Amino acid sequence: MSASALTQRTAPPALTAERPVEWPKRTVRTLANGMQVVLAESHTFPKMSAHLYFRSGNAAVARTAPGLAEITATVVRTGTASRPSRQIEEDLRRMGAGLGTTAGADSSSISAGGLAEFSSGILDLIADLARNASFPADEFERERRQRLEELKIERTTPGFLASERLRKVLFGAHPYAIVAPTEEQVAGFRREQIEDFYRHHYTPSNALLIAVGDFSADAMMEQVEKTFGAWKAPQPASVASPAPPRQSGRRVHLVHMPGNVQTQVLLGNIAITRRDPDWYRIILANSIYGGAFHSRLVLNIREQKGYTYSPGSGVNALRQQGYFTVRAAVRNDVAAATLTEIFYEMDRMRSLPVTPEELDSARSYLSGVFSLGVATQDGLLGQLATVYLDQLPEDYLESYRGKIRALTADDVLAAARRHFDSANAQIVLVGDRAQIGEQAALFGPVTEYDAQGRSI
Amino acid sequence: MNPAPKKLHIPVEHTTLANGLRVVASPDRSAPVVTVGVYYQIGFRLEPRGRSGFAHLFEHMMFQGSENAGKMEHIRLVNSSGGMLNGTTNYDITNYFEAVPSNALERVLWLEADRMRALKVDDENLRNQRDVVKEEVRVNVMNQPYGGFPWLDLPPVAFRNWPNAHNFYGDFADLDAATLADVQTFFRTYYAPNNAVLLMLGDFEPAEAFALAKRYFENIPAGALPPRADVTEPPQTEERHGEVAEKLGPLPAIAIGYTLPPRETPDWYAAAILDRVLHGGRAGRVYRKLVLEDQIAVDVDGNADVFDTNGPTQMVTRIFHKPEFTSEGTVAVFDEVIEELQNKGVAPEELDPVKVKFRSDYYSMLEGGMGSYMPRFGLMHYLACFTLFDGDPGRVNTILDGFLAVTPEQVQAVAKKYLVPRNRAVLVRRPVNPGGAQ
Repeated sequence: MSASALTQRTAPPALTAERPVEWPKRTVRTLANGMQVVLAESHTFPKMSAHLYFRSGNAAVARTAPGLAEITATVVRTGTASRPSRQIEEDLRRMGAGLGTTAGADSSSISAGGLAEFSSGILDLIADLARNASFPADEFERERRQRLEELKIERTTPGFLASERLRKVLFGAHPYAIVAPTEEQVAGFRREQIEDFYRHHYTPSNALLIAVGDFSADAMMEQVEKTFGAWKAPQPASVASPAPPRQSGRRVHLVHMPGNVQTQVLLGNIAITRRDPDWYRIILANSIYGGAFHSRLVLNIREQKGYTYSPGSGVNALRQQGYFTVRAAVRNDVAAATLTEIFYEMDRMRSLPVTPEELDSARSYLSGVFSLGVATQDGLLGQLATVYLDQLPEDYLESYRGKIRALTADDVLAAARRHFDSANAQIVLVGDRAQIGEQAALFGPVTEYDAQGRSI
Repeated sequence: MNPAPKKLHIPVEHTTLANGLRVVASPDRSAPVVTVGVYYQIGFRLEPRGRSGFAHLFEHMMFQGSENAGKMEHIRLVNSSGGMLNGTTNYDITNYFEAVPSNALERVLWLEADRMRALKVDDENLRNQRDVVKEEVRVNVMNQPYGGFPWLDLPPVAFRNWPNAHNFYGDFADLDAATLADVQTFFRTYYAPNNAVLLMLGDFEPAEAFALAKRYFENIPAGALPPRADVTEPPQTEERHGEVAEKLGPLPAIAIGYTLPPRETPDWYAAAILDRVLHGGRAGRVYRKLVLEDQIAVDVDGNADVFDTNGPTQMVTRIFHKPEFTSEGTVAVFDEVIEELQNKGVAPEELDPVKVKFRSDYYSMLEGGMGSYMPRFGLMHYLACFTLFDGDPGRVNTILDGFLAVTPEQVQAVAKKYLVPRNRAVLVRRPVNPGGAQ
């Protein structure tokens, strides 16, 4: 829309004076047993949440037992020395609480949230699961079977198949290559392996507890000391990981799903972690490229061309490595056209400085949206988890907006050149090869797989 | 460490402008953020016949340009103010909302008023969004295991009156048939200020916020609203069944829906608590029986959308069962759970914790409800529903009492009255390739 077209219209009201964002005070302490504790008060709703993280996830065991951290987390909630499964679930309901136990690549977690009036009971339950899980054999078998059925469903889900293949391609021998175990691996899990992972990795010196809610931080810290203070166990040994492979040239990895009515496009390259000095630059560049609704990619392939519903790009930061991705689910006949536009927009980011309007708009977007996180307990807990799990500087929350607002068009250009690796991007397409095989070949050598991950 | 339970009180102020627009404000100065929403009392239940999917397609058109904010400008202005935005189409309402730093309140009100006053879209916008919506349907339904299960599958089985029983995402032929004239007619008919409520939540002085609302919205002319369409269902006399092919997923999936009592009746409160006895996570009776004890199912969940519907609605149980069991046998075990509840009722020792969890979930919904980038979405959503359906946003502070007062006797009585075959529909999503591809 040109400026002259707007002259007949009413202009939108200017923004009024900004009210400063005040990040809540954190109470941070490392207990004598090595457990790190971070507490923040938030009193608008009579609720609280506590997340207990262990800094070991599936990557820690990828070489020996992929998915072991995940199945451990799944079974951890099914019994302790003093509470059978049913009691755990009923105790939760009595406290108005929900429980999540999960593991990703870098961490495992036991998270519960409920009414603030039950804070101490909720904390006790988390501690019981963290210290006294009993892994009942029948519960383990039931969860194993459920995981097998879930895996079969995942293998029919285009988004899952795309990310599984991209991670394999980008990370090679690095543990991040594996996002899920095979059915055979799940069938092979033994209860002793789970107990072993639990004993070595669910330890206080490997733990971080974050709690946010309607409580007094001092009283809560006392409660935490009482609940976790006597717990002793050593730090797990850390294992070095091989570097991800260096890519040379674009290649296409086609996961064949006969009869699919849409193509899932996912491409990417290795980038950086949150601890890299370029972090702020890359997220600003990403926001202008495809990380926001008003970004170039969304404007191009959704709002102008109508190829897709929810396109986007992202910077995925794991602890040891990060990677940049671009995704779009598109109708089959425009798979090649979509890739052309994705690369056009990527190359434009790498070649020309963004306009002052785009720069200004993206800086305001990132700094504004960041501040929305202060308004809910879950938002705040998520922000704190980022800071303390990734071991970012203590003033990360307070300094983030200022750092974003200081960036220039040159910063964006430099970040795009360094981290949007258009020439060596690895392209994953999930769809029907009869519909998209020829389109795929336009972008590089094509390797084909079936939904089970076998080469075909 | 365990203080007495606090009774939550949400500040709520409201007024009605001269053009009939209801305005609700709930100030909260704890963070420099505001959430703003406009809810129109039109959803996919009331879209024109022969235009299935139109209410949702229209929702997309509301982002395509208005008198003073052309295509992408609305989105750009919200994003570049540091905010997030979205819209959703529901049975009885369509909503548009944004969360922004509080210094953008006036700008956001200006934007919402601009598109309530005049939509400015052309054929190219319509063609573009029709394509986008088709990809939305493909990514969420046609190319996704269990896509549309059961929110698209069950209503055509459960209901007989077209408003309740048609394809809400829309048949592609109907989407293709939609014209720009349809868009403008729909806009004039349903997007009038007197068919809407404006909500403002968060960091502002109510007097200033009401003054801004008046300044930007009050001179939008009221519309002549059509009489509300008849969404009542003819009496059901026997159990209804349906089956849909599951093209991708390997497991059979079953949805069992019971039609709920009418909104704000004593039975409605009891049914909402009954729902939490049956569902409500792993402690719920259906999960415990089918997943944990008998191990017939891999996953079970269920819910009753009591707050945000204003017409025939079902409590729905969703069951994904192992391929070695039959769907009929699975439903028979589900029926044992229902019969036990009908025959033996529920003890206070079970019901009291269910109500504690209900209260906790209500607070969680008010605080968030749509991820941490949309603070107070749930509060906004409930305030809108209580205003449009019940005429009183203050219900947000009192409605919980009705649920917490439900007795074991009421739960048993409602189970006997409503959980009966002639009030239910059973839908099976049957895999084309059971057990999964090899």
